Amino acid sequence: MTEERREAERGQAAQEPDGDGRRGLRRGIEVQHRDKAPQGSREKVFELKELSVHYGDNPAVRGISMEVFKHNVTALIGPSGCGKSTLIRCLNRMNDLVPSARVEGELLYHGEDLYGSKVDPVQVRKMIGMVFQKPNPFPKSIYDNIAFGPRILNMQGDMDEIVEKALRRGALWEEVKDRLDANAYGLSGGQQQRLCIARCIAVEPDTILMDEPCSALDPISTGKIEDLITELKQDYSIVIVTHNMQQAARVSDMTAFLIVELTADEKNRWGEIVEYDETEKIFTNPSDRRTEDYVSGKVG
Amino acid sequence: MAERTRIHYQAELVELEAHALGGIDLVVETLGRTLEAVQHRDVELAEMVIADDDRIDGRYLEVHQAILTLLARQAPVATDLRLIAALLHLIKSIERMGDQCVNIAKLIPLAGHEPPLDEAMLRDIVTMAKQVKGLLSQAKQAFATRDVELARDLVRGDDVVDNLNRECFRRAIEIGDTQDQREWAMTMLLVARALERMGDNAVDIGEQTAFVVTGLFEEFEDASHPQPAAR
Repeated sequence: MTEERREAERGQAAQEPDGDGRRGLRRGIEVQHRDKAPQGSREKVFELKELSVHYGDNPAVRGISMEVFKHNVTALIGPSGCGKSTLIRCLNRMNDLVPSARVEGELLYHGEDLYGSKVDPVQVRKMIGMVFQKPNPFPKSIYDNIAFGPRILNMQGDMDEIVEKALRRGALWEEVKDRLDANAYGLSGGQQQRLCIARCIAVEPDTILMDEPCSALDPISTGKIEDLITELKQDYSIVIVTHNMQQAARVSDMTAFLIVELTADEKNRWGEIVEYDETEKIFTNPSDRRTEDYVSGKVG
Repeated sequence: MAERTRIHYQAELVELEAHALGGIDLVVETLGRTLEAVQHRDVELAEMVIADDDRIDGRYLEVHQAILTLLARQAPVATDLRLIAALLHLIKSIERMGDQCVNIAKLIPLAGHEPPLDEAMLRDIVTMAKQVKGLLSQAKQAFATRDVELARDLVRGDDVVDNLNRECFRRAIEIGDTQDQREWAMTMLLVARALERMGDNAVDIGEQTAFVVTGLFEEFEDASHPQPAAR
């Protein structure tokens, strides 16, 4: 080694970093958006293609295209009137019950047209359960609330076992196992909501839809439901509508942000998707300014 | 246009950023005095620099606490969250640079009252310090205006500092045969080393600027993979 080269190397060493390890990282490390569907598989449960819903002549949502992945929690967020609830109700044909509702576009469920003429809506709602904002137990015993669906569907097996299994999956068993005959109305709001989730699970669905399931609950009950959602996604695919941004950030894998669009004369309003992406991306580096303003609460 | 909300939170964020960036001004001021102490071998001024580091440490603690409070109370997301994360890095860099000024100040008494100094080497060190001050002002401006190009340009200025550091090393080797000369040169090498680290800290702030804007962390310079970066 020449003296000159040795000197050059010593000089290089002299300007290299000290031991704080600051300069050990590789260039251009992407700390955001890795790929979609990070938790579960990329298997699609729902495929929405240019889906629109009208109530009479009034549009409620327009041009919705998105995919819902298996074993993911998918959150729908957006301001009031953006069509979140309309959209989630399309996913198990709840809008069929509204006479003026009209669904256009394509909605595939495991590759099959959910609105196809041969599809039985009752079977759809067995496979795709729903939990509402306000807990809605039947005015019956805790046991009968859970057993109701399996009995109607003539499900095989020991009913006691079915009830226990559903209540365990609903994280309610330990709290109610000694009073299964008590009226469900005697449960607290949070317990009633978990009962509704257990009731939904009892008929062995594949997907659970939740329309603001925690908005009537206190923080502790909310925490329990959120823990439950995280556990349930191992076995089910979950779509949740929530007004609570932090809830979407805490529990969901994918988030869709919808906004309200208006006609120039402001007579008609409808919801549209602004951005649909991995939740981490939506809450750390959203692509659209409108998403950014909404998730950071900068617009009212 | 929708009505703006969370006005107080926005004001808090703006204030927090200004307070953190103000820390860079404290470092620039301290570095100026440190340089003066080096040039004039002013031991008293050096002691003031050491004592005054409490101000920079205090700024670090204030910003750190304000960040914790904001995280706990306001749950920032998206750009706000990236800004908060970047400010945490930035204030740590500021605190480190304050410590580097202290390191230099502590060396001044060790260099002796009338050392057998090498004018050329001292000139290089003065140039380095001035260059670092310029880099810090540039880093502050780039961060405040979210100017990624200006932030990237810090690398060019930092290269000047790195080259002067190597030059000091070369001069130290050839400085002379007496023990006094070698002691002085060794001391000055440590000064140059501290300044070189401060240049890196300025580049760090530039990297955080890019992170706030793009959401991607990227090292502008990579000492462990020193091939020329494609820009």
